[in-house]
Amino acid sequence: MRYVKLPKENIYDFLERLKDYGKLYAPVKISEKFYDFREVDDVKKIEFHYNRTIMPPKKFFFLPREKMFEFSISKAEYKETIENVEPFVVFGLHACDIFALKIMDTIYLDEFPDKYYKVRREKGIIIGISCMPDEYCFCNLRETDFADDGFDLFLHELPDGYLVRVGTPIGHRIVDKSIKLFEEVTSQDICDFREFEKKREESFKYHEDWGSLRYLLELEMEHPMWDEQSELCLACGNCNTTCPTCRCYEVQDIPNLDGDTGVRIRRWDSCQLRSHGLVAGNHNFRPTKRSRFMNRYLCKNSYNEKLGLSYCVGCGRCTYFCPAGISFVKNLRTIMGLEDKSCPPEISEEIPKRGFAYGGAKQ
Amino acid sequence: MEKVRIGFYALTSCYGCQLQFAMMDEIVQLLDKANIECWFMVDRDSDEEREVDIAFIEGSVSTQEEIELIKKIREKAKIVIAVGSCAIHGGVQSWGKDKELEELWKTVYGDGRVKFEPKMAEPVENYIKVDYKLYGCPPEKKDFLYALGTFLIGSWPEDIDYPVCVECRLNGNPCILIEKGEPCLGPLTTAGCDARCPSFNIACIGCRGAVGYGVAWFDSLAREFKKKGLTKEEILERMRIFNAHNPKLEEMINKVFEEGE
Ligand code: SF4
Ligand code: SF4
Ligand code: SF4
Ligand code: SF4
Ligand code: SF4
Repeated sequence: MRYVKLPKENIYDFLERLKDYGKLYAPVKISEKFYDFREVDDVKKIEFHYNRTIMPPKKFFFLPREKMFEFSISKAEYKETIENVEPFVVFGLHACDIFALKIMDTIYLDEFPDKYYKVRREKGIIIGISCMPDEYCFCNLRETDFADDGFDLFLHELPDGYLVRVGTPIGHRIVDKSIKLFEEVTSQDICDFREFEKKREESFKYHEDWGSLRYLLELEMEHPMWDEQSELCLACGNCNTTCPTCRCYEVQDIPNLDGDTGVRIRRWDSCQLRSHGLVAGNHNFRPTKRSRFMNRYLCKNSYNEKLGLSYCVGCGRCTYFCPAGISFVKNLRTIMGLEDKSCPPEISEEIPKRGFAYGGAKQ
Repeated sequence: MEKVRIGFYALTSCYGCQLQFAMMDEIVQLLDKANIECWFMVDRDSDEEREVDIAFIEGSVSTQEEIELIKKIREKAKIVIAVGSCAIHGGVQSWGKDKELEELWKTVYGDGRVKFEPKMAEPVENYIKVDYKLYGCPPEKKDFLYALGTFLIGSWPEDIDYPVCVECRLNGNPCILIEKGEPCLGPLTTAGCDARCPSFNIACIGCRGAVGYGVAWFDSLAREFKKKGLTKEEILERMRIFNAHNPKLEEMINKVFEEGE
């Protein structure tokens, strides 16, 4: 991999030059507390130390809503409406969000490529930036805290600039074309980079092994946590619509008034909504709020075989943006017995009837 | 193709729903597809006695005559669509549902006299079967077009069973419930308005009514509002504006306030 240094005084020039490659999107403040990736005109508005964006970067590739095709019933035909996408640059992704895009790729590119996703993914230039975790972050536990690939450039903050990792030929081109803005990496920079990474590692709230999570979730289907926490849930779907790896969508056909033509559209869906589990005959395989609530926990913690990761990348959005203040991490830790003891402290003679015993949970 | 026969009927309302649709440019496209049998706002030769394929009913049921009228409509129509919050949820005029009719009457009309027998406002569904609903105060043009378009191809339109929050998130708004602690009713209100109010930084007051199918969680949201310092009365008052007839509302809120701390 190629490494270069971008001195602090050149950062805005660099950002300005990125616009040569297409529209530039970057994290900006959209309200008192929240951030989102938006098109930026004035690069001075870019937030380098944002915590997390309310919309995940998947929004650039898998649009929140989009038209899929136009149809005519009388002609029995349809015409896909795939946009002509111009190249664009998304600046400022955190490592977890880059992993999230890799997860999205395994769904939307690898097996049955989604044309709408693909055209955008091919045109999007990804520039990552380092971050300091806040109390909601747990990417370290998901092994998504350091991106090895999936970016064109990745900027690591140094006291006097950025150590830049170059990830792709496009990344090389961007650097080469503005080579005057860059310097060689010095041994001091390497020390600073190490220092930053060390501090970052120490800043994570939890340092523990979540290896047992996947099977404990499956075993603890009757744990009281599910009832207690799903009772608090508003079923608003925010945890899914802010999640960088939620990939479900809902489609709808919208006919015109001519009784013949129309369009099919899709939008992001959420498994916290009733219709997610609704099938023909008005059957619903997730008929209760509890079952819908559980589904997200199981889905997000299941195993993506291609990447050897869980579907959750630990970005913290589903907790940070939950209007009911439900903590995903806390609930997972409860299941793992890390929040409070969930099993009898001593081995008793009694053999638990189902799964794990948690007699001590309801004190 | 035979023309679809359409009727538009008004009960007690502000007529805003009808106006919304009568003003649509797209209505012209309907002319060779549909016969308007009854719609006083757009056609003088309207007749409530005629049979129709689709009956749109706006307004809340607020007099004895209106009960008779909707029963007649039900008999003469193949599909009955309740239009707007008045017809679907009893409208904002049901807000004072817990007060005495006489008291409400006096407040509005004083000693004035009218020819009809007033009743407490009620949703159409309290009297007849409703097949489809066009939510809103007023409803969205796009929902009207979608429903009609879908009926015209011989299919059945989908109901909206998810909350305003979904659209709010799709639009990338900041969440004012989380950020400012404002009592936004988005989590329990039927989507379709494209989260109009939160998009202007204004908390949703629920004008499209609570989501059906038992997925409007008044209790969970009340718990949140309570945490933010709202009293039971304030919460009830706010949630009742457009949901006074919802059978779950009080029960769920009582539950939350019985829980204690
Ligand atoms: S964001 Fe929170 S309240 Fe909303 S559906 Fe998810 S867990 Fe429930
Ligand atoms: S499940 Fe939550 S923490 Fe995990 S990736 Fe999704 S939003 Fe982030
Ligand atoms: S099932 Fe739920 S948690 Fe899983 S991707 Fe779909 S919306 Fe997200
Ligand atoms: S602002 Fe209101 S509608 Fe929007 S996400 Fe928050 S609670 Fe839901
Ligand atoms: S946001 Fe709420 S109050 Fe505003 S239009 Fe939509 S449903 Fe009505």
